[in-house]
Amino acid sequence: MTNDFIQEPYSSDVDTLTKSYSDQWGAMDKMEEASGFVQLMASNDLIFVVLGVSLIIWFTLLFFLVRVDRKVTKLENDLNSKEEEL
Amino acid sequence: MKTWKYLVAIWMTVVISAGFLIRIPHIPILEESARNLFLHVPMWFTMMIAFAMAFYFSIRYLNDGKRIWDNKAETATAVGLLFGICGLLTGSLWARFTWGTWWTFAEPRMNLSALAMLIFVAYFILRTAFNDAEKRAKISAVYNIFGVTTIPFLLYIIPRQMPSLHPGAEGNPAFSDMTAPELRLIFYPAVIGFIGLAMWMMDILNRYKAVRLRIDK
Repeated sequence: MTNDFIQEPYSSDVDTLTKSYSDQWGAMDKMEEASGFVQLMASNDLIFVVLGVSLIIWFTLLFFLVRVDRKVTKLENDLNSKEEEL
Repeated sequence: MKTWKYLVAIWMTVVISAGFLIRIPHIPILEESARNLFLHVPMWFTMMIAFAMAFYFSIRYLNDGKRIWDNKAETATAVGLLFGICGLLTGSLWARFTWGTWWTFAEPRMNLSALAMLIFVAYFILRTAFNDAEKRAKISAVYNIFGVTTIPFLLYIIPRQMPSLHPGAEGNPAFSDMTAPELRLIFYPAVIGFIGLAMWMMDILNRYKAVRLRIDK
């Protein structure tokens, strides 16, 4: 009897999850070789990452607000020019 | 787009960045979450301003019956409610990590502010009950004047008379000795920034309503 039909746990070639979810987190490895920006973001207990996330959300909302504002302005102008034609 | 809106955009960006970047002293229990002061408290300040505006517009409506006042009152109430809901949610999250619970019925300010929000949710339900625009505007204006009148009692007077974990209870000022004075440097600009943002949102909503009215005619 051989164990040919019993797979070794986590030995499959298609198993990509085990390694990526291993306890070896690579984000902080070789930090001294990383760019200055990355080193800055990784400093101070990662608070700059939270700042970055907050700014991304804020700029997205701001972009949306500006766009809606411009659309309403365009609608107002269209209405004004139509009323002048009449 | 008008210049003041660009100013609000830049102002808020600076305030958010500075809120993260300034050094704050170590405060027990609060730790870095003390920075929430720049976000959570301005929500309520902005809501107060918005509701005060709604109060004024409602009175103006009852005075001369012009449709524009009803539109402005509705807009101010909607934006105020939006900021109030943000205040409730942020407060609940903050409470979990400082008081140890998402919600407690022993905390008067928490429950009374939730009650205040319900009063303004009811305002919008009330508005849907009328097909006649004039009737809707008139009754909503009366309801809104009543609703805004309850706010100082629910959010300021009653919570200050009762024992509470929330700063500003039992006659303490909201900035008690456990809050560092440096925080004010960002806090007041944040209040101004969020109020500016609320004005911008109201401006868009009001102009949208005015355009819709012109198309309907």
